[in-house]
Amino acid sequence: MTTASQTRSNIERHVAVRRKPLLPAVGRRALLLSLSVLFLAYVIGPVYWVFVSSIQSEADLVSVPPNWVPDDVTLQNFHAIFFYDAKEVTYESRRIGDPATGDFIPTAAQNLLPALYNSVYVGVWVAILNVLLSLTAAYAIARIRFRGRRPTLYLILVTRAIPDIALVVPLFLVMRNFLDIVNTRESLIITYLAVTVPFTVFILINYFESIPADLGKAARVDGCSHLQVLRHVYLPVGMPAVVASLLFAFLTSWNEFVLALMLTSTIAAQTLPIVISGFVFDFTTSFSLVNAAGVVAIVPPVVLAILFERYIVSGLTAGAVKG
Amino acid sequence: MTSSIARPASRFRLSYDSGSAIFLVAPAVLVLGLVAVYPIGYSFYNSLFDLNLARPHRVPFVWFDNYAKLFHDPQFWIAVRRTTVYTLVTVIGTALLALGVALFLNEAFRGRRILAALLLVPWATPSIVNGLMWKWIYDPTYGLLNGLLLTLGIIEKYQVWLGDPNLTIFLIAQAAIWKQMPLAAILLLVTMKSIPDDLYRAAKVDGATVLQRFWHITLPALKPGFMLVFVYETMISIRHFDLFAIMTQGGPGDASFTISWQIYIESFRSLKFGMGSALSFVLALATLILSYLFIRLLSRKL
Repeated sequence: MTTASQTRSNIERHVAVRRKPLLPAVGRRALLLSLSVLFLAYVIGPVYWVFVSSIQSEADLVSVPPNWVPDDVTLQNFHAIFFYDAKEVTYESRRIGDPATGDFIPTAAQNLLPALYNSVYVGVWVAILNVLLSLTAAYAIARIRFRGRRPTLYLILVTRAIPDIALVVPLFLVMRNFLDIVNTRESLIITYLAVTVPFTVFILINYFESIPADLGKAARVDGCSHLQVLRHVYLPVGMPAVVASLLFAFLTSWNEFVLALMLTSTIAAQTLPIVISGFVFDFTTSFSLVNAAGVVAIVPPVVLAILFERYIVSGLTAGAVKG
Repeated sequence: MTSSIARPASRFRLSYDSGSAIFLVAPAVLVLGLVAVYPIGYSFYNSLFDLNLARPHRVPFVWFDNYAKLFHDPQFWIAVRRTTVYTLVTVIGTALLALGVALFLNEAFRGRRILAALLLVPWATPSIVNGLMWKWIYDPTYGLLNGLLLTLGIIEKYQVWLGDPNLTIFLIAQAAIWKQMPLAAILLLVTMKSIPDDLYRAAKVDGATVLQRFWHITLPALKPGFMLVFVYETMISIRHFDLFAIMTQGGPGDASFTISWQIYIESFRSLKFGMGSALSFVLALATLILSYLFIRLLSRKL
């Protein structure tokens, strides 16, 4: 295993060295180094700044010019988010209740932990249901001829061309008047499927079509049902695409704002973006707490994305080369 | 499962089996029908009524009055202009920056893999956090941008960035570009990797310069990648709402008043759901027409 992967990476290196397409050799190293620094500054710099801002006290944070590297590290914001205990504000402890001192933790901070839970709950369910719905649909469209195959495909793909913001008003009315599930996590789950299913079906169809049809046909001749063929032939081979789909659905759900803003009104169902957006326009919330909330929202998707980089990149670029 | 007997290999590539197929497709179609197709129909239906939640008991049917009113509303045309500028800047900015990044990451050097992986950080950052992050960087009193430019001696005193109506739409577009550039760069990079090395070697033998090789080999080969980037980024950018909601709320004045923001204002501030629906439908239609044109263009060129 190790030797195999080593050999492969050696081959890759060899190929990569031979590649050397555009830049002349003179000054190449210096140029690449400075470009790398620029790249890091632009791609990672802003996130670094949010992180640094979240672990400084408010007094340090508002210094001019800003501290590039924090003087004093404090975890009080994260403590406030994860171990919220409402301190009673009395005459003696009135500093706590005064936003000007920078130690003030608004009561809204207690909403972040439930919002984190809601985000995870909705995201996990969307990821699972999305793959279940999309797998069967993509298999049927990619591998079975049936009346209405083209229209079904167009119907599924065209729904993605409609902006979310256009869905807001009617979805709100549908949820309120017909299903009566406004302000529940379930309303978010079912809504997000409308966003994720078309994209997932598209990715999976591309993937399934790259698998030789004879594989499935052989299983059919041996008497497998379509569901069995899907489970025992296409699912194992298509696992990379399935993993990518799970991640995309989770990240889409984690990221979504407009629909959640309209469909939820209390912390019973509000997700992280909704609670955080509330902070931004609350002038009593300290800058460092807003940034800490931002870190809480950024870490899970970024960690997932980096961990599963291979799957995500292959999923994102499925069919890209074909055009 | 419906009774379906596998047919012997026919002249068709795929076997014909309507019963099973409908059974397999049904769940996805039902869910999409409920949360995508039906709402769109409902939206169109509502757009024909003067539906105002502030006045729920009188809902006159007005035919296409909402649309007519819209096209005579100067605010709508301002929104169209802002949306166009924003979309153009975002898409072109994303494509150019992504091209640069892809060319850079296509070079062979130590650490290239790590840098490519880090591209996923902006991609995975939620747009709300992206908005508050750049709002904080642009902050007029404590922001990083002011601190950086002052330290470098580029500005002499702190500037009010987002508060400047001439700059605000470009600054929001910049935040969008930061998040969208990685996907575009990855797409272009994959396309670049599929260019055979022989082409470059042959061109080199023939004495082509770096620029000539870029112009005559790399750029034409990137065409499909670019088309994909343009289609996708346009569809995404034209409907952006999150950044505007977090960073400027349509302001200052109407400097960042886009169509998405107008839908929000009409529906949820003025409670004119009929008008909001009409506006939503115009945006949906514009998006559909644009994607149709792009796809036509795409399939003709390739």
